[in-house]
Amino acid sequence: MTAKPIRLTFIVILLAFLVTMPLWASRYAVNVGLLVCLYVTLASMWNLLAGYSGMVSLGQQMFIGLGGYTLAVSSMYFGVPVYLSVLFGGFISVFLAVLISVSVFRMKGVYFAIGTWVIAEALGICFSNWGYVKYGMGMFIQPAYKLSMSGVYYAGLILCVSSVALVFLLLRSNLGLALMAIRDDDQASETLGVNIFRCKFICFLLSAFITGLAAGVLYLNAIFIQPFEAFGISWTVNLLFIVIIGGIGTVEGPILGAIIFVLLQQFLSEYVGYNLIIFGGITIGVIFFAPRGLVGTLQMKTGWELFPVRRQ
Amino acid sequence: MPEILKVNNLSKSFGKVRAVHDLSFKVDQGEILGIIGPNGAGKTTLFNLISGEIKPDAGEVIFNGKDVAITQTFKKCRMGIARTYQIPRPFLNMTILENLLVGSIYGAGKSYKESKKQCVRILEKTGLSAKSGALVGTLPLLDRKRLELAKALATNPVLLLVDEVAGGLTEGEVEEFLRIIHGVRKEGVTVLWVEHIVMAMTKGPDRLLVMNFGRRLFVGRPDEAFNSPDVQKIYLGDED
Repeated sequence: MTAKPIRLTFIVILLAFLVTMPLWASRYAVNVGLLVCLYVTLASMWNLLAGYSGMVSLGQQMFIGLGGYTLAVSSMYFGVPVYLSVLFGGFISVFLAVLISVSVFRMKGVYFAIGTWVIAEALGICFSNWGYVKYGMGMFIQPAYKLSMSGVYYAGLILCVSSVALVFLLLRSNLGLALMAIRDDDQASETLGVNIFRCKFICFLLSAFITGLAAGVLYLNAIFIQPFEAFGISWTVNLLFIVIIGGIGTVEGPILGAIIFVLLQQFLSEYVGYNLIIFGGITIGVIFFAPRGLVGTLQMKTGWELFPVRRQ
Repeated sequence: MPEILKVNNLSKSFGKVRAVHDLSFKVDQGEILGIIGPNGAGKTTLFNLISGEIKPDAGEVIFNGKDVAITQTFKKCRMGIARTYQIPRPFLNMTILENLLVGSIYGAGKSYKESKKQCVRILEKTGLSAKSGALVGTLPLLDRKRLELAKALATNPVLLLVDEVAGGLTEGEVEEFLRIIHGVRKEGVTVLWVEHIVMAMTKGPDRLLVMNFGRRLFVGRPDEAFNSPDVQKIYLGDED
C-alpha cells in the first residue's frame, strides 16, 4: 500500500508550512493563517457535535463568548497571565456545558438546536446588562496588546492541530464507533448496548472545552470583546457554512471549509453586504452539486482520505 | 431447564388501543418459542417491551430472576437481551464488520481485539464473511437480514428476540435462517421468534405462543397450535 506514506508526507509538508509561517510570511498572512487555524478548531468541534454525534448545536457562540469574557475578566481584573486565562475560559465553558446538559439533553434534533441558541442569546443579554463587564460597551483586553503576533499564532496552531488530532483519534477509538452508530440509528445502537447519553455528554464537554480555548486565543488577537458580537449567532452560522461546504461528518471537511471561508472573507471584506449573498450562494451551490460537501463528495468518488477512520 | 424469562400480566396501551393486554408466559433456557398472531396482535410491541424500548403500563418482565420491566435498553442489552428488527436497521454508513463491532464492544463488553475475533466467527456463521468490509448501504435485502441477526449475536445474547427475519425470503433462504437459529440455540441461547411464515413456525420453535388483540390465545407445540380451533378461527375466520 502506498497510500499511507503519501498521506504522511502530505501531513508533514502541511505542518512544516504552518510551523515556519511566522518566519517568512508577512504579518497579514500570519494573521490570516491564525484565523484559519481558529476556524478549523471551532468547525471541527461543531462537526464533532453535528456531524458525528447528531447534536446540531446553534449555540456554540455561548462558549465563544464565555471563553472571551473569561479571558478579559481574569487577565484585566485579576492580573492572571493571558495564556492561563485562556485555559480558564476552557474550564468555565465545560462548567456551563455540564450545567445546561441537564436540560438540553432532553431535547433532540431541532429542539436541541433551538435550545442551545436560546441559551446563548440569554447569556448575551445577561452580559450586556452586567456592569461588572461594562455592559454593552464591551471590554478592551489590555494585557493582550503587548503579545507578539507569532506567539498568538502558535497558540492557534497548537489548538488547530490538537483538535484535528483529537477528533481523528476519538473516531478511531471505541467511542468513535459508538458515535457513528448513534449518528446512523440511535435506537438501534442502544439495543446493541451503547449508552447514548454518556457518548453525547463526553462529546459535548470536549467540544465546549476546546471551543472555549479557541475563543480565548481569538480574543487575544481581536483585543476587544462586546456581548452581542461575542454571543452572536453569526459565529455558529459561519461554522455551519464551513462544515457544510467542506463536508459534514468528515475529519478533513472543516479544514478545507475553514480555508475557503477565511480566504473568501478576506477578499469580500471590501464588499460589505454582498459577502453574505455570496456565502449563501456558495452554500446553496454546494448543497445542490455536492451534497456531502467538497471533501465528502470527493471521498465518495475517489475513496481517498487524509485521515482514514475505518476499521479493517 | 430453568426459566430464563417470565412475563407476568404485562400490559401496554397506546391511547385506547390495548397493544399488549394482561399477557403472561414463561420461557425455559435454551428453548425456541415462536410467537404468531394476526397483524396488530401486539407481537412487536411485546418485543419492544422486553427489549426496553418502550415501558409497560403494568406487569413484570422477569429475566434471570430479576424484574427488568423498566431497565434502560442499553443495560438490558449488556445483561444479555438482544433483538433484531422486522425492517433491518443497520448502520448504513458503516461497514458490516463495524456494525458487528458495536454490539460486541458495547453489548458484550469485549476488548477491541477479542471483539474482532468474535465478529469474524459470527460473519462466517451468518454467511457474510466475503463482504465484511462492504458498506451496508450497498447490500441487498437478504444480506441485510443476515446482518440484522449477526449484529444481535455479536452482543453475546442469553435471550435473542428475532422479529420476522424470514419475511420476504425464498424457501431456501428461510431454511438457511432456520439452520442458523438452531445453531444458536445449541450454544444455549434462548430464542423468541416472531414470524408469519408457517413453514418456519412449524419447523423452528419448540412451542408456539399465539397472540390475538394483545392477549394470549394459545401456548403449546406447533402442531397442536395449528390444529387448535381457536387459532384456525383467527386466521381463517368463523364459519358461522
